[in-house]
Amino acid sequence: MKNKERLSFLILGGIFGWILSRSGASDYDYIQRMFLLEDFQLFGIIGGAVAFGAPVLWWLKRQGKSYGGQPLDLSRKPYHRGVIPGGILFGVGWSITGMCPGPILVNMGEGKWTAFAAFFGAVCGAYLYGLLRPSMSRFLQVPQGDQGI
Amino acid sequence: MFGEYPLILNDLTPIHWALTGLMIAGVVVGMQWFLNRSFGISSGLEFLCALGSKAPHFRQVAQDRSGAWRLPFMVGLVVAGALSAITSGGWHLMGDSGMLDQVVGLSDPQKFLWMFGGGLCIGFGTRLAGGCTSGHGIFGISTFQWPSLVATLSFMGAGAGTTFLIYRVLNGG
Repeated sequence: MKNKERLSFLILGGIFGWILSRSGASDYDYIQRMFLLEDFQLFGIIGGAVAFGAPVLWWLKRQGKSYGGQPLDLSRKPYHRGVIPGGILFGVGWSITGMCPGPILVNMGEGKWTAFAAFFGAVCGAYLYGLLRPSMSRFLQVPQGDQGI
Repeated sequence: MFGEYPLILNDLTPIHWALTGLMIAGVVVGMQWFLNRSFGISSGLEFLCALGSKAPHFRQVAQDRSGAWRLPFMVGLVVAGALSAITSGGWHLMGDSGMLDQVVGLSDPQKFLWMFGGGLCIGFGTRLAGGCTSGHGIFGISTFQWPSLVATLSFMGAGAGTTFLIYRVLNGG
């Protein structure tokens, strides 16, 4: 990976992080108010991102090429038996910490030590998943062609 | 109804939800179009593990060169958080967690364990599901991939259930 490309991702991560920090998406109370249906800020944000992004992504996918002319490398999200239990487990963790993975990183930057604890936990959780992944293959039934997941 | 409360971070007023949504869509589209990478955060957790582990699954992750962007992207998120704090009243180490402090009232060591435990669920859960709020909730749904809708409904439902349990059942409204 070239340094220029690295810098592009650093800046893009910076923009996204700034948005998360200033919009309430990385705020413990906003997460809880979303789940309690007391404030719709975060539903608005997620819904808005989908509503604005989907038409452009649809068009991008249809024309099939990136700006640089390469074939569009769009991540596939296959269904397998881990999607629902994994989603549920993540939802529990999101509620407990008041952070999803992006905001964990943003909150670390903001100086919230709770985020360092959550980050440490998240890395351990991902590590545990990686160790167990080979023995879960038969259970998960990930479709052929998506085995790298 | 929308963003009525100040943020925990320096009592800031949050950016309007529609503008925030538009800007996030800009990041997702810009990343796909100009850099040809699909938006998502939680795979980065596995990428970090692959830097230090030689377990078979992580060796596979490390072989996939297309994941190299994740590290600078994650660093960007941390830097942005710091800049956001510095430019809005100052950066200081804090453990403020709003309602959690007011209602549940944990000691610092308890809060560390609470956050660590939640983090474990996040790390394992997002990887098992194949994405988080960004990868499934925003990118996956925006690209009309139905498994992402299933994942999003799962984590939104489980999150709502857990918060309801913590703040409405165990600690009364």
